[in-house]
Amino acid sequence: MKRVSVDIGGTFTDCFVAWDNQYVEGKALTTHHNLALGFNEALSDACNQLQVETSTLLSGVDSVRYATTLGTNALIERKGPRIGMLVTSGFKSTIPLSRARGYGEGLPESEQMDIPNATRPQPIVPIPMIREVRERVDYLGSVFWQLDEDDVRLRIRELVDAGAEALVVMFTNSVVNNAHELRVREIFLEEYPGHLLGSIPMLLSHQVAGRKGEYARGMSTIIDAFLHQTMYHGLGTLELNLRAQGYDKPMLVSHNSGGMAQLNSTDALQTVHSGPVSGVAASEHLAAATELGNVVATDMGGTSFDIGIVDQGGVKHYDFNPVIDRWLVSIPMVHLVTLGAGGGSIARYDRLFGSLEIGPQSAGSDPGPACYDRGGLKPTVTDADLVLGYLDPKNYANGRIGLNPKRAKQAIEEQLCDDLDLDVAATARLIKRNVDTSMANGIATELRTRGYEPKDFTILAYGGNGPLHACGIANALGVSRILAPPYSSTFSACGAGNVNQMHIHEMSTWTVLFNPALKAFFSDYDGFNRNVEELERRGREDLLRQGMAPEQVKYRLELDMRYGNQRVQTAVITELSRLKSQKDVLTLMEQFHKSYGARFGEGSQSPEAGVRINTVRVCSYVEQPKMTFAKLKLSGKTRPPPAPQSTRDCHFVGHDQPLATLIYGEDALAEGTQIDGPAIVTARATTYLVEPGWTYHAAAQGGVWFIKK
Amino acid sequence: MHDKISAEEQALLDKFLADNQLFLGPDPEIMRNHATTPRSKAEDEILKKGLDPHQVHRVRGLINAALSEAFTMVNQMGAAPGAKWGDLVTGIYTAQGDLTMIAPHGIIAFAACCFYPIRFIIKNWVNDPTVGVKDGDGFIHNDARYGGIHNTDQSMMMPLYYKGELVCWLSSTIHEGENGACEPGGMPAAAESKYDEGIKMSPFKVVENFQLKRDLVTFLQNSVRDPGLQLEDMKVKLHAVMRLRERIIAILDQFGRDALMGTLRVHLEDTEAEMRRRIREMPDGTTRVLQFMDSTLRENALQKISLAITVKDDRLIMDFRGTAPQFLNRSVNTNIASFKASLCTGLLQNIWPDLPHTMAVMSPIEIITDRNSIVDAEGEMPQSMSLMPLFKGCVVWTIPMNKLNYSVPHRYSAVIASQYDQAATFIYGGLTQHGDVTGNFCADINGNGQGARSHADGEHSVSPVFGFMCDSGEHEINEEDTPIIRLGAQRLAKDRIGWGKYRAGMGYEQVATARGSGMWGFMTGCEGSKFPSAQGLFGGYSCPSYQLMKIKGINIFEELKKNPKVVEVFDIVELMNKRPIPGGKYSSHDMGMTFELCNEGEIYMICQGSGGGYGDVLERDPALVMKDLAEDLMSHENARDIYKVVYDEKTLVVDEEATKKLRDDYRKERIRRGKPFDQFCTEWVTPEPPAHIPYFGSWDNPREIYATTMGQRVKMSADQLQGAFMLNPKDLRIMQLESEVERLQVELGAHRNAER
Repeated sequence: MKRVSVDIGGTFTDCFVAWDNQYVEGKALTTHHNLALGFNEALSDACNQLQVETSTLLSGVDSVRYATTLGTNALIERKGPRIGMLVTSGFKSTIPLSRARGYGEGLPESEQMDIPNATRPQPIVPIPMIREVRERVDYLGSVFWQLDEDDVRLRIRELVDAGAEALVVMFTNSVVNNAHELRVREIFLEEYPGHLLGSIPMLLSHQVAGRKGEYARGMSTIIDAFLHQTMYHGLGTLELNLRAQGYDKPMLVSHNSGGMAQLNSTDALQTVHSGPVSGVAASEHLAAATELGNVVATDMGGTSFDIGIVDQGGVKHYDFNPVIDRWLVSIPMVHLVTLGAGGGSIARYDRLFGSLEIGPQSAGSDPGPACYDRGGLKPTVTDADLVLGYLDPKNYANGRIGLNPKRAKQAIEEQLCDDLDLDVAATARLIKRNVDTSMANGIATELRTRGYEPKDFTILAYGGNGPLHACGIANALGVSRILAPPYSSTFSACGAGNVNQMHIHEMSTWTVLFNPALKAFFSDYDGFNRNVEELERRGREDLLRQGMAPEQVKYRLELDMRYGNQRVQTAVITELSRLKSQKDVLTLMEQFHKSYGARFGEGSQSPEAGVRINTVRVCSYVEQPKMTFAKLKLSGKTRPPPAPQSTRDCHFVGHDQPLATLIYGEDALAEGTQIDGPAIVTARATTYLVEPGWTYHAAAQGGVWFIKK
Repeated sequence: MHDKISAEEQALLDKFLADNQLFLGPDPEIMRNHATTPRSKAEDEILKKGLDPHQVHRVRGLINAALSEAFTMVNQMGAAPGAKWGDLVTGIYTAQGDLTMIAPHGIIAFAACCFYPIRFIIKNWVNDPTVGVKDGDGFIHNDARYGGIHNTDQSMMMPLYYKGELVCWLSSTIHEGENGACEPGGMPAAAESKYDEGIKMSPFKVVENFQLKRDLVTFLQNSVRDPGLQLEDMKVKLHAVMRLRERIIAILDQFGRDALMGTLRVHLEDTEAEMRRRIREMPDGTTRVLQFMDSTLRENALQKISLAITVKDDRLIMDFRGTAPQFLNRSVNTNIASFKASLCTGLLQNIWPDLPHTMAVMSPIEIITDRNSIVDAEGEMPQSMSLMPLFKGCVVWTIPMNKLNYSVPHRYSAVIASQYDQAATFIYGGLTQHGDVTGNFCADINGNGQGARSHADGEHSVSPVFGFMCDSGEHEINEEDTPIIRLGAQRLAKDRIGWGKYRAGMGYEQVATARGSGMWGFMTGCEGSKFPSAQGLFGGYSCPSYQLMKIKGINIFEELKKNPKVVEVFDIVELMNKRPIPGGKYSSHDMGMTFELCNEGEIYMICQGSGGGYGDVLERDPALVMKDLAEDLMSHENARDIYKVVYDEKTLVVDEEATKKLRDDYRKERIRRGKPFDQFCTEWVTPEPPAHIPYFGSWDNPREIYATTMGQRVKMSADQLQGAFMLNPKDLRIMQLESEVERLQVELGAHRNAER
């Protein structure tokens, strides 16, 4: 297989190339003014390792796939068009009011609690750019207020005159009857035909999100419209760049649903967070290929710690209303939780409890930790790691950043030691322990609210700081197996190379499987099946448009079910693609019963209150050939450690005195190498910290196991 | 007669009384004590041995994670709207029942009330051979007289035994809504006695061996309108508490009993010490504030809440004496325990939000009230609409504490005016479009307009006075469950705002009707229709008053079908001023409406309110005025009249020079109008409240309390407050109409006589 996959992040552009049996990684700084430049440099880096010309490589690969944070950055920088919005009469303040909790979405808990300082984010659509239109549909889709077409024409004109560069339509209950939204577009095109100069796009909410919830769907549509041009130009430039270099196939874009598609079948919103989600996709593939069982994927970088869950049984965890930047949206996104804990997280003394708190404030990369010597004065996790002896000041981030140990020590000493009445080393140990514990608590909460136990999981640790803190996190969590995966520094790019072409379509529905008041069971099989067929049709069309053969298309039916009037959003994946009998209805309820019980506790189910399907979701996909990972399972064959490069006195949690710690180089990555902790392996891309009580096992392809003794 | 009793005799008498109690009602010894209990022997031993603060930090982190997990479970599984939109909590208590920690996103007041019933259980059931407390037991409770905000909230409380020893208590609470009261939805404004309030659960055992007792569940289901909801959420709370128990046991296994019990205790003590530090940072002295509630939800009644805050060293005294007396037959009373929980909420929401959410923050605070006042009502009083004084309790100390805190070296949060403090939402009940009986309230309660800050305008309707990150919901989802149709869904209420140098955040209009139900009705439990609810700060305006409006006698669905252009927009002001729907009976009322039926297509309209403004309106940056105009948040009339800005209405370009002159002139005008304080008092102050105002509370002398009872004004001693008995408004109306008929009959007779 020959394939290029790319993850364009905020700082680095990572490139992962599969060239027959050779897998190589390329890295370059992201060039925000023209993403193609950074991509070309990262690709050159990879080509140099393969000793292949770029044009040869690009003309020889089956695909080039992108995961990108371009959308996230554009959102943060507010780079996008002036948007006008049409809403149902009576709903003009829905977006500005953001469900009353919009002030705190995407913020750390401490800021959410600080109500007197509450501040909503700068709106993407300012209030004067929202217009109401007379129309209304009820929850079942019946129209009780006909669309006033004169009103539509007037409001569109007002918005265009006010400088709208894109229009969004969000009509209440349009997901169960889209006629009014569609008619608005017809009117819009009558008034402003697309062939005219200055024509502007119009996005309809029911086409962006299929679920009920007018605020979240409205925000989804707004963000989609806002990012559309930026993404189109950014990704379009990349595609032109590829063509200029000999690539003649469609470029593929990773989606935050865990799938991918061609540019012509991608909404801008689907690309947001696609980088981290690709990391989870890579984890899923790795887990399946190497029979890891349940995996918790953790990505610890400079400012944040991402957690994703991979269930060996195939249960998919989505966020149906994820927060993007500061807004709640409606999109099925692979579940990913971000904690504010990274190398840059600031440590501070908490006078109230006489203890040490870490984060959520971060020194980021500018000025960065005190040891970066760029003006940062506050002690951070990276400063503690340096003081504890884990980091090589001259070889950090592959030598890109020089570290100043004096600054780290000074920051900890001056700002923490007196208050804590501890020496520098003990304080640094406390920082390490607290940040590891905090991340462990975050993982535990994530897993347990979904009915899992951490001890049944393997931690997959990637990202710049992942292998450095993995043993500490595992200790706090009670996990005894960690895998730092192969290609961990470009793991998301690697993941983008292994996803299927996939589209998810959803439909809000009022499907009562069991009505306790009437003691009635669902029997409108045709109605249900028609909905499923419609969603399959939409997915199929998406895939056929991209040149897929109809017989390649597969479908996965997922149902969001609940008891009575609950809010629970448990997706039940069912093998039943159609309902044909009461037995099928009972089977669905039984499946829900089991998954609910596993999550919330046996006996917590309430079928007697009624059972309902709220959302029908169909994932349509075409399986793609996968890059293969070598078997990463621990084998009995071991090889002794290579000669250490040096010995350092390192401090470890649970040890009052420093321990003489052997430091190894890149050669410790040779498959089969086994090293007992304490030890440190400093490789090109990352630092592996083997804490006392743990053993390091190098696996194939540069993967590393940590096993607790 | 023998009036001397020996100690031995007294002990025997006491034993007799203890052994022969008629009724274990709310226990004043428990209910009047909000302070944390002294260390138990076990806790004292643990703390004397010494605890590593860093281990405490780890244990605290694990407890937090466990509470958060249980909270998420309830939020996900809960069937009540309150659970879905954030009105819930999970909590952990010491073995003596002191609230130590709650889930990060929980409603503090729920848990801050739960320690009272837990103390009741400890005192009464532990050693009672007919009840007892053992591992696997769970207790339910909803009656606020035993602790709680109001009887819509149901709690599940569970003791946690470790190696045979009771080490802590766990709880989960949801605002369930429906409770079988005389009006659906659980908050009956029409309740005239506590026996109209629906089911009143004193704390009792409903779970044994970790299983719900079906006989008791059936009894509870039989007592409410929504038996499905009752069962579902009892399961939810039980399983959430059981999950929490599992996690706490894991902590005990890992760190040991001393670490857990020690952490719980030291968390309380550290928090109390921090509170005392902060009180000490403030200047010594007294500040005062007056607030008024203007309705009993049945009739207009101006009820005073009087507060003087005194700081002396590390003591803070809140003196509520002079406050209105309780009502014998109105539901707007609260007991003192609930009121303290609302004060606790106010402190943690708008004053020092960075403090740990535990009742220990209230320990250093002394609270003085008049017994039998509206904030310290006696147990027999109805209190199903206690939200009225309780929401006041959440904001009452915002203004005085901001004054005390203004100049302290370190501010722990922003200086802010009062948030709007009314439960401005529709409460509903009836048959849903699916044929289910239901009663509850809408999530619109969760969006109160914020007070303006010293550095910025207030935010439009944000999380309400009783919790952070609460959610005002999605109407598309709500419309699936109930026949309520929103014609106007949370539209910002133009011009109805607290003005100031920085203006408050706005409330929103709610325009609702019903469709597809055989029987449906609404009620509203809200004050502030006569007297503004939210006070401004340092010269900022209060919010305006807000009314309930109705358009009855129509079916809007038929009207829209006949003529889609019949309504321009469902905007309250437009509808009421232009009255576009033919045949409609338009009316305006105060926002206290007892349950009434809504025929299909009739329209009910209410408004969430604004907070108070900050600073002098003449100091408002004209650019901010123009922004508000551009956003259609205010009218040109108000821009000119209140802010005194000169500008072009079409372009919104400000004439800076003319504005400065206008403002300077107006300042001079103010000076001309001004009077020396003594002169003002002489002209303004009256010896008694005006006779035409139904006034409740002290006037000049805080020891004399005015009230109107049985239609007559009375004056009472604050030490011997009697409740006010209100006449039935319907009786009054009948009397009024009868007198009118009598007068007309006399006139008719005279007319006929004249004709003859």
